[in-house]
Amino acid sequence: MNKPWLKQYEAHVPHSLTYPKIPIHRFLSDTVARHPDHVAMTFNEIHFTYKDLNERVNRFAHALLKLGVEKGDKIAFLLVNSPTYVFAFFAVMKLGAVVVNLNVGIQGEELARCLDDSGAKAIVTLDLFVQGVYAVIKKTGVKTVILHSVFGLEKKMPLEEGVPQPLLFQELLASTEAAEDPTVRISPGDVAVLQYTSGSTGAPKAAALTHNNVVASVLQSDAWVGISDAGNAAVLCLIPFFHVFGMSACLLISVLKGYRMVLVPRIDLMDILSLMETLKTYNLLSFPAVPSLWAALLSLPPEVAREHLSSIRVATSGGAPLPRWAHERFEELTGRRIVEAYGLSEASSATHFTPYPRGGPTGSIGVPLPDTEAKIVDRETGKGECATGEIGELVVKGPQIMQGYWNNEALTSAALRNGWLYTGDLARMDQDGFFYLVDRIDDLIISSGFNIYPGEIEEILKRHPKIKDAAVVGVPDRIKGQAIVAVIALKPGVEADKQEFLKYCKDQMPEYRVPKAILMREEVPKDPAGKILRRIVRQEALAL
Amino acid sequence: MRELLRELKIKIIEELQLKEVNPDELADDTLFFDGGLGLDSVDLLVLVAMVDRDYGVPIFSRELGEKVFITLSTLAEYVAKMRKTK
Repeated sequence: MNKPWLKQYEAHVPHSLTYPKIPIHRFLSDTVARHPDHVAMTFNEIHFTYKDLNERVNRFAHALLKLGVEKGDKIAFLLVNSPTYVFAFFAVMKLGAVVVNLNVGIQGEELARCLDDSGAKAIVTLDLFVQGVYAVIKKTGVKTVILHSVFGLEKKMPLEEGVPQPLLFQELLASTEAAEDPTVRISPGDVAVLQYTSGSTGAPKAAALTHNNVVASVLQSDAWVGISDAGNAAVLCLIPFFHVFGMSACLLISVLKGYRMVLVPRIDLMDILSLMETLKTYNLLSFPAVPSLWAALLSLPPEVAREHLSSIRVATSGGAPLPRWAHERFEELTGRRIVEAYGLSEASSATHFTPYPRGGPTGSIGVPLPDTEAKIVDRETGKGECATGEIGELVVKGPQIMQGYWNNEALTSAALRNGWLYTGDLARMDQDGFFYLVDRIDDLIISSGFNIYPGEIEEILKRHPKIKDAAVVGVPDRIKGQAIVAVIALKPGVEADKQEFLKYCKDQMPEYRVPKAILMREEVPKDPAGKILRRIVRQEALAL
Repeated sequence: MRELLRELKIKIIEELQLKEVNPDELADDTLFFDGGLGLDSVDLLVLVAMVDRDYGVPIFSRELGEKVFITLSTLAEYVAKMRKTK
């Protein structure tokens, strides 16, 4: 296969890597052996060394063992970035169990479906989310609820009969003696993470990622940056660990390298403001973020932005394309480039990066990582290979690509064909091997780095008693990449104002899926076959 | 104060591209969150950037943000107060 991108590799990046056949938690064991006293994480002025971290991981692993957790069991996580996430993640890995990684914003039917589909036996969560968990627990196979209590909210919540009493994370840790690593034989080919992601039909789907997939992904990203002398440098962990970008670029790279994770939990909206203090306090090596956040930070007055951002050696943007003005502003302020990453849940994290540190052409997602193949195929047939510059579907292959979608043969065979992952992204490759995203094959909206299918929102809108029909589209947004606009048609004879529907959306869906605007029309534009005419809906939304 | 409030409403609508919102129809006590403008965390950061850039008033801590970003009026009052003290 012709790989024109290899000539873009910086001198420190090998064309191919050797991937040790190890489980993910070996990153932790190796770092504890090398740097036991390095600070592993900082959270609200509390610091844990790698030795502290490993000791708590082992205690929690033994607590889970006592609760009957076995190899292969699915343990759901509904957690923000916090020490609890890190302790629980590595404890589950050491037991050979599987982390079911869930977005903390999901609730109701969607949460029930994810818990049921994954077969989760236990859930680890915060008291902030526990009411939502208990609202659906009877529809799932969850038998154990472990919660980290921040505000004691669980004490105020009456429990229905027949549901498990919540167990407090802090008490479980305290009740377990310091212990050695649990002895569980884990094959690196075992599934380690079920990464839930949006589904085009509105039904969630989970990418099944093995230890091998995740380890390969982390090693590829590490080799790409090639920093070997940063000691106990700090990484700002704002991207949620429940997203593959956060899991890889924040959590696992840090643990692999012995870096200090500075955890920013984002429990509520105001948490974003503590980011400004954090940026100034820590001399950050790395800050992975989504374009909307970069855009917001780079909108600050130049001297303020410079003061807060100039220490960052590895500034990464992923989740959606970063606008040209943000690239230019960052370079102007700091003299460095923001490196863009392209990835998918199905690829454990990244498949493409722009070269570090020199960056890539603006608008490009970069070039394939070592051992990653990529090509542009005919968008209709999914076959052949498009000529340089021609637009088609981007397909990728490599050691980081998932095994398939959990419990979903049909979706797996559509997405994985002869080892190639069909990304659903329309793209082109230039003569220098740089790839550029052009559009989506389906109607996926990417807003603030989150993938959102219109069907997920339309389904919820149509459940409202006053709404007859709904269509949702994405429109360009300077900060978020795309903003969501909904067009709704009311049932005959009913009256309502938009605020009522916006409030309903806020109650029913995660913040990032709430439409920015709702347009009320007599009918939703559809073709004779009843298919939504999104092109027309989009025109109306753009005319706003 | 009235002038500042109106100016802030226009700037907020522009910065956040709230194309459907008319500044004259925005009540002074409109909440930024919870059923008001319904902003998210990135919107908040955008507004923090705007207030610092256009008025020289930094709101870079959670504690301060909680007191200032309640309604349009609370923001206007804080901006007015800080501008006076400069």
